[in-house]
Amino acid sequence: MEYALQKKLVEAILFLKEEPVKAERIAEIISLSKAEVERIVKDLQEEFARSGRGLQIFEVAGGYQMGTLPELAPYLERMYSEEVAGNLSNAAMETLAIIAYKQPVTRMEIESIRGVKCEHVLDSLLKRKLIRIKGRKEGPGRPLIYCTTPDFLRYFGLKDLDELPALEAGEGKGETP
Amino acid sequence: MNKEAYTIKLPVFEGPFDLLFHLIKKAEVDIWSVSIAEITEQYLEYIRSMQELNLEIASEFLVMAATLLRLKSKMLLPRPVREGEGEEEELFLDINSPEDLFQRLEEYRQFKEAAQWLKERERLQKKIFLRSTRGEKMILISRQDSYYTYWEGAEILVEIMRRFCEAAATAAAVPEIPQVEDFAVKDRTAFILRRLKEKGQALPFRDFIRKETLPEIIVTFIALLELTRQKKIHLLQDRAFGPILVVLRGSRPLPEKKEAPGRDRRG
Repeated sequence: MEYALQKKLVEAILFLKEEPVKAERIAEIISLSKAEVERIVKDLQEEFARSGRGLQIFEVAGGYQMGTLPELAPYLERMYSEEVAGNLSNAAMETLAIIAYKQPVTRMEIESIRGVKCEHVLDSLLKRKLIRIKGRKEGPGRPLIYCTTPDFLRYFGLKDLDELPALEAGEGKGETP
Repeated sequence: MNKEAYTIKLPVFEGPFDLLFHLIKKAEVDIWSVSIAEITEQYLEYIRSMQELNLEIASEFLVMAATLLRLKSKMLLPRPVREGEGEEEELFLDINSPEDLFQRLEEYRQFKEAAQWLKERERLQKKIFLRSTRGEKMILISRQDSYYTYWEGAEILVEIMRRFCEAAATAAAVPEIPQVEDFAVKDRTAFILRRLKEKGQALPFRDFIRKETLPEIIVTFIALLELTRQKKIHLLQDRAFGPILVVLRGSRPLPEKKEAPGRDRRG
């Protein structure tokens, strides 16, 4: 198959999919290697940028997904005025941050770090499918353990959890004096 | 006490650590060199002002207040040299020394920063619209390069169903279908061929139906299938649920030039 056709196919697949598509999956569909697909996507990304398109291919949650350029948001928002979902609260953000870095983690562990009870926050995060219950921790009480979901990665536009910045250590004072 | 309601009233502080962190920042001191006495004073003052404003104070804030006071008193009083007795455990906060407190504050600070980072990502991400058809405009491309949407398809199905029900209702008084079949199909094939030759062009299926009753529709359909089997006609349908066109074999499917009908009109 010609390279030009391969490129068209990759573009078409990304256009059709509403979820991030893994390079492996695209490779499977058009019988290419994963590396070839990655190269094509890179080409497409550059081409999109160069030719001034309103779309771009983003790397999200371990796959690729087409989306609009951020600078178009003020106009595009007019299309969806009533439906733009609310932002997450500070409490939700703190809780999510702890889960993202320490997963799998129990509710007690989260509460101990935040110094606040977290039941409601956990419930709403579960409802928004940003976190999930992974199972139970062995040990007394067998508490539930929580971890983040692929939707978490999508929500924040992350390729994978490694994209989270390293936690910044304290201001040089190190451990207990 | 409803914590959610509380959070709405005072959204600034997400918990006692958040408040402490704020106080430390305000004092412009490093977490590790905070004076317990001073921070306790400020913390209590804040709690007091909350009480004056009649704000509900979440229990966590009070536990922290108690913890701070205990730390402070421990530092003022000489340590009792009673081995083995251990410190009674603070179940919720588990802070027994200033170091514990600093440690916890430091840990909290890191996650607060991470939360800040996530918030920024959220802000950026909200500006990118991802493709979503919301189940409405999914277009299927069929083999014949024509298309229909799910919903269009569904509407046509509804229409077919409605007509079927109507037909079935009128059909109630009509003899049963098997009886009709035998004699009617032959009649109908002859009628179809005659009509096609008369018109000299492709005709839609519905042109062969005079009364929309169930037996009539069925008989006509069977007749068309029979003619197709005999290779006398073609049936064309450019898309699923679309109209069916009937064409005589060997004739042009659609009149290209508005040609005079065949010379064998009327027989």
